[in-house]
Amino acid sequence: MFKELDPLLHSELRLAVMSILISVEEADFVYLKEETKSTSGNLSVQIDKLEKAGYIEVAKTFRGKMPRTICKITQTGIEAFEKYVEALKSYIHPK
Amino acid sequence: MDKKFTEKDSLELISQMIRNTQQKLEQGSGNYFLLWGYATIVAAIAVTIALSQTNNYNYYMLYFIIPAIGLPGLFLLKKKEKSEKYISTYIDRIIGNVWTVFGTVAFLVSLAIFFKLFPILAVMALLMGMGITITGLIIKTNFLIVAGIISIAGTIPLLLIHGHYSNLIFAGIFLLSMVVPGHILNTKGKKRHV
Repeated sequence: MFKELDPLLHSELRLAVMSILISVEEADFVYLKEETKSTSGNLSVQIDKLEKAGYIEVAKTFRGKMPRTICKITQTGIEAFEKYVEALKSYIHPK
Repeated sequence: MDKKFTEKDSLELISQMIRNTQQKLEQGSGNYFLLWGYATIVAAIAVTIALSQTNNYNYYMLYFIIPAIGLPGLFLLKKKEKSEKYISTYIDRIIGNVWTVFGTVAFLVSLAIFFKLFPILAVMALLMGMGITITGLIIKTNFLIVAGIISIAGTIPLLLIHGHYSNLIFAGIFLLSMVVPGHILNTKGKKRHV
């Protein structure tokens, strides 16, 4: 049977962000923007959604005088991501 | 970019993002090896020249060229990294902690030479060799493991051979265990980003 895919993760930009954050300890907004080739506005909205769901933590800091946004995946986010990948397997290799 | 997409697209995106991130991590990772490797070689050659000219063993103090070059260099490298787009990984943290421990021990051991004479070059080659081997094991890089073993094995000639020219052996060990791997790491990092 097909498992239900988490709608929050089954979106291209949010999944890209989560895929990056699952493989690093933390990453800043500029890195995420360049890697996902997204616009600042769209990325901000998607990061906000992931943060509200408790999948990532967002810290606003400063690099010199420039503001820096650092994102980090949470335990809830890791579990959701793992569950999502498990669900994906049911589509790729249906029993 | 926020459109719905297929399950197959999802899997491809996940693997692509993870692969890209791993490749990014390798960029410039040889710079720390080059910094400490070249600083040690410069110091070892300076000591050899000074000793061969004067026979004054106080010139061993020239080894403090290493922290004099290395610490500001480390500060500049860290500053450069922070000014670029930033990512930090678990592996970065582990390797950072490993080198903080080995670097601190090496510095403290070097200060002990003021109180009691001991084969400091052999001890340093052993400590650095251990650090390099552990780093190689963590990032699963065979040439780094070999480089670390070369440095560890280098303690044997350093224990057996005395005199000014043991400093040149020390320089040779750092050339093989830090400078060469540093250049290989950077070259591999650049090739992946062409």
